[in-house]
Amino acid sequence: MAAAGGGGGAGVSKTYSFKVVLLGEGCVGKTSLVLRYCENKFNDKHITTLQASFLTKKLNIGGKRVNLAIWDTAGQERFHALGPIYYRDSNGAILVYDITDEDSFQKVKNWVKELRKMLGNEICLCIVGNKVDLEKERHVSIQEAEEYAESVGAKHYHTSAKQNKGIEELFLDLCKRMIETAQVDERAKGNGPTQSGTSRRGVQIVDDEPQAQSTGGCCSG
Amino acid sequence: MKMSLKTERRGIHVDQSELLCKKGCGYYGNPAWQGFCSKCWREEYQKARQKQIQEDWEFAERLQREEEEAYASSQGAQAGPQSLTFSKFEEKKSNEKTRKVTTVKKFFTASSKSLPKKDIKEAKSPSPSLSRQFSLETDRVSKDFIEFLKTYQKAGHDVYKLSKIFLEAMHHKRESNIDEQSEFTQDFYQNTADKLQMYWKVSPDKVEKVMDQIERFIMTRLYKHVFCPETTDDEKKDLTVQKRIRALHWVTLQMLCVPVNEDIAEVSDMVVKAITDIIEMDSKRIPRDKLACITRCSKHIFNAIKITKNEPASADDFLPTLIYIVLKANPPRLQSNIQYITRFCNPSRLMTGEDGYYFTNLCCAVAFIEKLDGQSLNLSEEEFSRYMSGQASPKKQDLENWPEDTCTGVKQMHRNLDLLTQLSKRQEHIVNGAKKLEKDLIDWTDEVTKEVKDIVEKYPLNIKTASQALAALESENVEDDNLPPPLQPQVYAG
Repeated sequence: MAAAGGGGGAGVSKTYSFKVVLLGEGCVGKTSLVLRYCENKFNDKHITTLQASFLTKKLNIGGKRVNLAIWDTAGQERFHALGPIYYRDSNGAILVYDITDEDSFQKVKNWVKELRKMLGNEICLCIVGNKVDLEKERHVSIQEAEEYAESVGAKHYHTSAKQNKGIEELFLDLCKRMIETAQVDERAKGNGPTQSGTSRRGVQIVDDEPQAQSTGGCCSG
Repeated sequence: MKMSLKTERRGIHVDQSELLCKKGCGYYGNPAWQGFCSKCWREEYQKARQKQIQEDWEFAERLQREEEEAYASSQGAQAGPQSLTFSKFEEKKSNEKTRKVTTVKKFFTASSKSLPKKDIKEAKSPSPSLSRQFSLETDRVSKDFIEFLKTYQKAGHDVYKLSKIFLEAMHHKRESNIDEQSEFTQDFYQNTADKLQMYWKVSPDKVEKVMDQIERFIMTRLYKHVFCPETTDDEKKDLTVQKRIRALHWVTLQMLCVPVNEDIAEVSDMVVKAITDIIEMDSKRIPRDKLACITRCSKHIFNAIKITKNEPASADDFLPTLIYIVLKANPPRLQSNIQYITRFCNPSRLMTGEDGYYFTNLCCAVAFIEKLDGQSLNLSEEEFSRYMSGQASPKKQDLENWPEDTCTGVKQMHRNLDLLTQLSKRQEHIVNGAKKLEKDLIDWTDEVTKEVKDIVEKYPLNIKTASQALAALESENVEDDNLPPPLQPQVYAG
């Protein structure tokens, strides 16, 4: 029974459930990115899924089973203030910008600031420069983006949903990092819960919290 | 097609008066309180409750005993020959119970007081159909729960016992803070799930099923006490949101940038279904069923977007549409429902599952509606406040563009509104004209007076005295004397 205390039942390897939020301005290709990852399709008429706002993927990484839930968020500026409701309790965040759009990179910086402030270092951040197929029209310098990512403890990725570049690596890498974080968390606690996602942290909806956030978001935006 | 659409549209309207407290205090009533609001309900039934407690006590105890027996016997019957030992074990258990009964009795009677008593009272209550339906459902849920747990044998029995003990403890917490009760429930979910997996080695998929059944069982019983409880201001918040949504009735698809074209019959069908689903949420008692309503509503929204845009909906499309649906539906007791789900839903479902995602979006929609201002609708603050105060309505402008099947009454109303606006314009015109005329008249009088003055000043009136004049005249005449005498007529001989 001692093993059971370690989580997940002795014989069966445990299953991790991770919640990942997708953040970024509208039109940077968040939806294309997940659709490419989960359906391996791009702007395809034969996409079977009814929606691309909540998608799941089951993975097996080195014998560890991972249930990935990907939460898309509304990217319009007027919904910025709602961010905290979305990213509450998430294990990872994918911050997408369009390499041809300097503004969208600025938005990513705002999100990083906010996430670090609200969730601290518990959350794994990925900064993603999408649309690398449009390299000629690049407006965000690679060096600047990568340096920025490093300075805030995030990883930087170059992707193209159109050409299916870098996406698989992005998600795989993120999952590995989230497993690491979860394991560190478990060891710290001594008795890890069976599913990292199910532990009860902050299910309460606090009315004032998003409001307080909204003022900060608007000013910086 | 059109016909069915219309009737469905009519079907979703709930008369405001039906939602109000029966005592007419202006607050919203609640079917769980037989149509009273929380305050009136408390006043009305506090005394009756006290009386009935005595009466119900014995009856409740008997029910409790019967339930226990039914469970024990059904366990035995189901298990058949294989479980002779099991039923023996049951017997031993019950023997044990009778021995312990003096201490345990307190627990059980307390819980039974809170549960079946309600049912009896409801049978006597003024709206028997609804409450009978509720109490029947409670019975059915209990039976289903027992049936379901049979397949888990020993674990099932333990789960049943745990749930009973939990309900009882909850009863003792009835007067305490709702957050405490929520915390306690969440701990119960967590501990039971852990136990199922660790001690009884139930596979994760099955754990989820058992947890769903447990939630169903306990929440049908707890609903009355923990949904929109008197100790919170949930009811006040409900009213605020309701009023807010009503004040925002003028918000259009275009303002929210909703990617849905309601002119397509199929799409408007989906919109109606989504509205119906979100309204239906209030009628469910179990958090999971409420979540299912939200999920169904979301699926209809996705369909509407998919038909309009011909591509899978992203969150950029989904959230504005959900906001639009919430504004159109104005779901009853929205805040209470959200709070109830947050407090008492099995957390694993709420955190990572698909239902959780849609629920989060609903929370976002409500937060957005609460904070909404002109900027978020691409309107100037001036326009926004004019629409909010009802001085202007943006809808009137697109009267011509309305689909043909729009309700004729609404059309007529807008036509009348147009006429009234025109009438008031004309009235204003007339009043202005009258004022101008008045001013003109005053001006004219002034002008004439001034002119007269000027002329008088320019040509002063010098009147010479009469004698002088006459004298002058006479003096003139004097000169006439010098004149030759007038010719005399002469006669000529002829």
